[in-house]
Parts: sequence; structure tokens; C-alpha cells
Amino acid sequence: MLEVKNIVKYYGKHKAVDHLSFSVDAGEIFGLLGENGAGKTTTFRIIMGLLDATSGEVMLDGKPIDYSMTDHIGFVTEERSLLTKLTVKEQIIYYGILKGMDEDTIMVELEKWLKRFDIPDYMDRKIKELSKGNQQKIQFISAVIHHPKLLILDEPFSGLDPINVKMLKDAIYELQQEGCAIIFSSHQMEYIENFCQKLIILVKGKPVVDGYLKDIKKAYRKKTVLLRGEDLPFEKIEKIPGVISIKPIRDEYELKITDEQVAPKIFAAIKNSNVTKFDVTEPTLNEIFIEKVGNVHEK
Amino acid sequence: MKNKFWFLTKVSLKRKVGSKWFVVVNVLLAIAIIALVNINSIITYFGGDFNQETEVLVKDTTNRAYDVFQANIMADNNTDTEEETGKITVQSIVDDEETIKENLQNDQVLVILNEDDNQYLSAQIISNEKIDTLTYQMLVQSLNQTKTALALEDHQIDPAVLSDISRPITVERLVLNADNNADENTNLIMSTVFPTIILPFFMLTIFLVQMVGGEICEEKTTKSMEIIISNVSPQVHLGSKILASNLFVLLQGFLLVLYVVIGLAIGGIFAGGSSLPGEIANVLTELGATGLMDKLVYLIPLALILLILSFIAYSLVAGILASMTTNMEDFQQIQTPIMLLSLAGYYLAIMAGMFEGSPLLRILSYVPFLSCLVSPSLLMMGQIGIIDVIIAIVVLIIFIAFLVKYGLKIYKVGILNYSNEKVWKRFAKAVKTKDV
Repeated sequence: MLEVKNIVKYYGKHKAVDHLSFSVDAGEIFGLLGENGAGKTTTFRIIMGLLDATSGEVMLDGKPIDYSMTDHIGFVTEERSLLTKLTVKEQIIYYGILKGMDEDTIMVELEKWLKRFDIPDYMDRKIKELSKGNQQKIQFISAVIHHPKLLILDEPFSGLDPINVKMLKDAIYELQQEGCAIIFSSHQMEYIENFCQKLIILVKGKPVVDGYLKDIKKAYRKKTVLLRGEDLPFEKIEKIPGVISIKPIRDEYELKITDEQVAPKIFAAIKNSNVTKFDVTEPTLNEIFIEKVGNVHEK
Repeated sequence: MKNKFWFLTKVSLKRKVGSKWFVVVNVLLAIAIIALVNINSIITYFGGDFNQETEVLVKDTTNRAYDVFQANIMADNNTDTEEETGKITVQSIVDDEETIKENLQNDQVLVILNEDDNQYLSAQIISNEKIDTLTYQMLVQSLNQTKTALALEDHQIDPAVLSDISRPITVERLVLNADNNADENTNLIMSTVFPTIILPFFMLTIFLVQMVGGEICEEKTTKSMEIIISNVSPQVHLGSKILASNLFVLLQGFLLVLYVVIGLAIGGIFAGGSSLPGEIANVLTELGATGLMDKLVYLIPLALILLILSFIAYSLVAGILASMTTNMEDFQQIQTPIMLLSLAGYYLAIMAGMFEGSPLLRILSYVPFLSCLVSPSLLMMGQIGIIDVIIAIVVLIIFIAFLVKYGLKIYKVGILNYSNEKVWKRFAKAVKTKDV
């Protein structure tokens, strides 16, 4: 479906994207992570054909992306990209026709989406009169109304309450089921963890983590042990090689360890204490992100 | 892509024409223009001191001039009644002069008609306060006509013979150099009439620049530009804005002309016919006498070509400048030089009559943005020929081609740029890129 091949983008002397490659297949959700200025938006703009890469290429279905192919791509930008003076209907028709749809089809689809998002009466409301959350729903509709093959979601949940987040999540899953390839970008790691099978973490335009989420987590050796109990021998635990830190969190303790081989040693140390919880957990994406990004900054 | 171009053009035009403000502004413009065209009738309708009746008391010491004088006043005021002129009532009075003066009211004028051995008739006009110019002129005119009538009677001269004698000589004027075939009056007429004719063009230019820039700025600031440009190329996008704005401006120009025509028609209906008001008819007659009307056959098409090409150039520059800015305030500032250029063209066109044969004006008539105003005015006055206007058109076409070639590169980079840092460096680099 989508293939990004070794793209490099310079703004003057500044390298915004540094040899980035990835592919997204039909029905796959791909996560693009990075702190602000990491090159995510530049990458999206290159995929959309808004910017030319300094080198490298972007292919959709084996062909370079040009204006004949952008009708098959949907794009939810990070900031609202709506003409606020228009009504919902005018806005969706405007973007829909630019995607090569006819007005009748747009109206049928729009009615369906407005009902689905619980705003069936908003057809003739001006965009500027809508709440931030409802504007985001309209922006989402404008990006998916033409049933794209590829959907780019740049921070799609920003400004949404949990109920609206669920509505959008369900819609995204449905698009995935239909075979849409989805690229997802968010600062909120839990969304990426929930959604994405594959991801890339960009730091200063360079991919520092790349692959399937389960493999990334597996490869990340550091683990966390959650402990709850009484008379826990922390002096003894601290001395076990591989224990990085011990941090109390409410009525529990979070132990960071270098790898899972350390866990049995901790268990052996506490087996005579009154332990009510002993849980070895995978690292969160947030932890991986912070460490990877932090390492690059330190370098 | 072609369909998307027409769609974008249609949407852009619909947004302008379908806006309630377009309707409001045009209703106001129609009222204002129709009112201005008929301002005399409106002022008269609402009344004022100029409608105050004046009673003319005539003391005729000649014993033969009163009847002729009264008839002339009535004829001058175009009234059917014998004693009343609508504004002026004429009354013969026999009291002695001092008594009349003592009892003279503010709305009364005393005219004393006296025999004069040399001039057949002399007169005194006496009033408490200064009488208005129109009434005074009307009285003097009637007195002159009365004097003439008395003299004709004394010398038994047929009025028709006198009319033939006093008729101005018929002069046929021929200037062999067609390009310099301008009457002295042309300059005077040009300096009074031309500013009025070209003012709408100047206004429409401002409309155009504001519209193209405003729309692009809005799409940029709302970030909807990213969605639009991901579906159509920057060339198609800018082209649609230019076409829509130019169509709008031409429509608005047509409507302005229509309002003037409606105003004239209304004035004609209330004046009891469909003819043009006297002042406009006089101006047209004067212009006709200068041979200008013959020039209109080629002047109008050439001026229209220059006008449309200039509109395109203005909108291209407005679009490019708007793409370089990040908000409406910046655009307002950056477009000021363009507005000043247009203003300069307006003043140069007005001043063209004052500097006949100026080489500088001739050169400026070739300069894009100025040419659309300066060239037609110089051609109208015979200071340049058709070939000069054609040169101005060619220069303008080359300028537009230059804008398309290099400006579009700036536009492509500019519309997705939201930073003010190193902006000129960035655009200079964009110009050097190979393709758009």
C-alpha cells in the first residue's frame, strides 16, 4: 500500500527528516511518534505531496503520489483545517468535491456520519458555532467521507472528551476493518499503544525505534515490578544487581529492573514477607519513548 | 483537475456574490449612485430657500418696456401662467421710488426701467438683501432681451435677420496629424470628466487586491490550505482565485454602470422624457465636437484589454503577496505599495492633460499597473498613438508571464509557510528552483 523509501528533507541547512523509511499495508495502523519538531508534520506533508522530499520517494500502490492519487488519501491535520465561515454541509461538500466525489454521494455519506457522531442536526450550522470537539468530528468526517485507501491522522483526539474519543476510535477501527491503511500520530502514548501494530519514533527527523510494537517491547529489556505488601526488605532489594530504582506509588512500590532475569531474585528476597502483589510488567511505550528521546538528546 | 479548477472558481465566486454583504453593499451603492446622478432633483424635491418666491416689482418709467420685460421673465422661467413664473411673480407698480423702497419686503425685488438715449434701456435692481445669483442672472437676461426687443422695434429690424447676424460663424477645423487631433477644450474636459470615469476602475482594483489576498490569507490562517493544496496544485488554486475575483470585479463594474444608467433613466422619467440630464448631454456634445467619439471605436477595446490584463496582474501580485504573509494584518501592510502604485496611476492619468507631450508620461504609460490608467488617457488626448498602447499591452503580457513563471514558485512555498523567519531568503531560494 504505502511505501516511504529513505526520504530526506532539508530546510536550508536544517535536516528535518533523516533517511526515514517505513511501509503501511492495507488494514494496518501505523504510529508515527516524536516530540514537537521531530519531523512528523514534514513527513505527512511529503506523503500528501505538499512538500517535495530532498531525496527518497513515496509510493502508494507502487506508484509515486501525485494529484491523481491524492483523491484516495484522507488527512486530519493537527490544527483544525476548516473554513469557519462555512456551514457543516458547505464545508464537507467543498472538501468532498475536491476529493472527486459528487454532491449527492457526499450528502448521503454526510447524513450517515452526522448520525453516527450524534450530531444529526448540525448540517446547516456554521463551523465557527461548533464546539472544539464537534469541529474535530467534522474535520474527521471531511477526511474519511470519500472512503480513503490511506488515512493520515495527526493528533486526531486533541480537544476531545472521552466519549467523543471513543466514537472516533470506533470509527477508525471500522475504517481499518474496511482495509484502510492508517498512519497515526499522537503525543498520547496510550492511544498509540491501543491502536498501532507498527510504529516509528522520530527524534530530530531520524528514526530511533522502528518495528512492530510487540517486538519493540520485547527488545526493550528493562521491566517494571509492582510490589504490594508489608515488611518488605527494601535494603536487601536495593542491593540486588539489576535493580535500578524503587519508587512508592500510593500503596504500591514500582521497581525498575534492567531485565526480567532480575525478577526471580527480587521474588526470592521478599518471599518471607507479607506480599499481596508481585507483578512483572512490560515497559510502557511512554517509558520507551522517554528513554529513546532522552538518550538522543543526551548525545 | 480541470473540474476541480472550475469548482474552486465557482465556490470562490459564490462566496463573494452569495454573501449578504455583497447584497447590502450593492443596495447601498445603487441608492448612492442613483441619488448622486439625480442630486439636483433630490435637493429641489426637498425644498429650500432656492424655492422661495420672489416678487419682482417693476416701475416702468419708459411706459413701454414692462410688457416685454414681463413676457421675457415668464419665457425664461418656462411657465404658462401670465403673471406667475413659479418662483417669480412680476408686478407693475406706479408708486414713487422712495415709497416703494421704504415698503420693500425681503422677498421683493424692485426693478426700475429707465429710458437711455445711448443704450435704449437702463435698469436698477434694488433689494433689501443680496438676491441669489440665479434670480439675478435671470433678471439681467430678461433686461437684455427687453432692450434688444425695444431696439429692434425702434429700428424696424426683423428679429430673424438679427438672429442670422449674431449667429456664430461656422468653422470647420482639420488637423492633419490624426494623433494630435485634440481640441483645446479636450484637456479641460479630460481633467474634469476623466477622473470620474476612471475612479470606479481604481476602486475595483482595490476590491480585487483585497479579495484575492483576503481569501488566500483566510485559507492559510485556518490551515484549510493544506487540505486544498493536497487535492489541487498551487497553480490551479491561484488560477481559480484570480478568475473568480476578476469575474466578481467585472460583475461589480457592470453593476456600477447599470446603477448609473438606472439613475439617468429615473432622472429622464422625472424630467418628462428619456433624455440625458443637460450637463451630461453638454459634456457628450463637447466631447463629440473634439472628435473623441470617433476614437472610441479603437479606444474602448484597447482600454478593455489593458484593464483586464491589469486586473490579472494585480490579482497575481496580490495572491503571491498573500501567500508570503501569515495573517491578514501582514497582508494589509505588504499590499500598501501596490495600492500606492494604483493611486499613482490614477493621479498621473488626471495630470496627463497638464503635461502635454511629456516624455516621462509616455514612458510611464508603458509601465504595468500604471499603463491601464495612463495609456488610455494619453491616447484620448492624442498625446500617444495606438502603437504606444499596443506596446503597453505587450509589456503587460510579458510582466504577467514573468509573474506566472517566478511568482508561482514563491506561491507554492509561501502558502504552506507559517513562519516570518528568513522569509525573503526562503522566497529567493524558491525563485531559483527549477520547476513549480
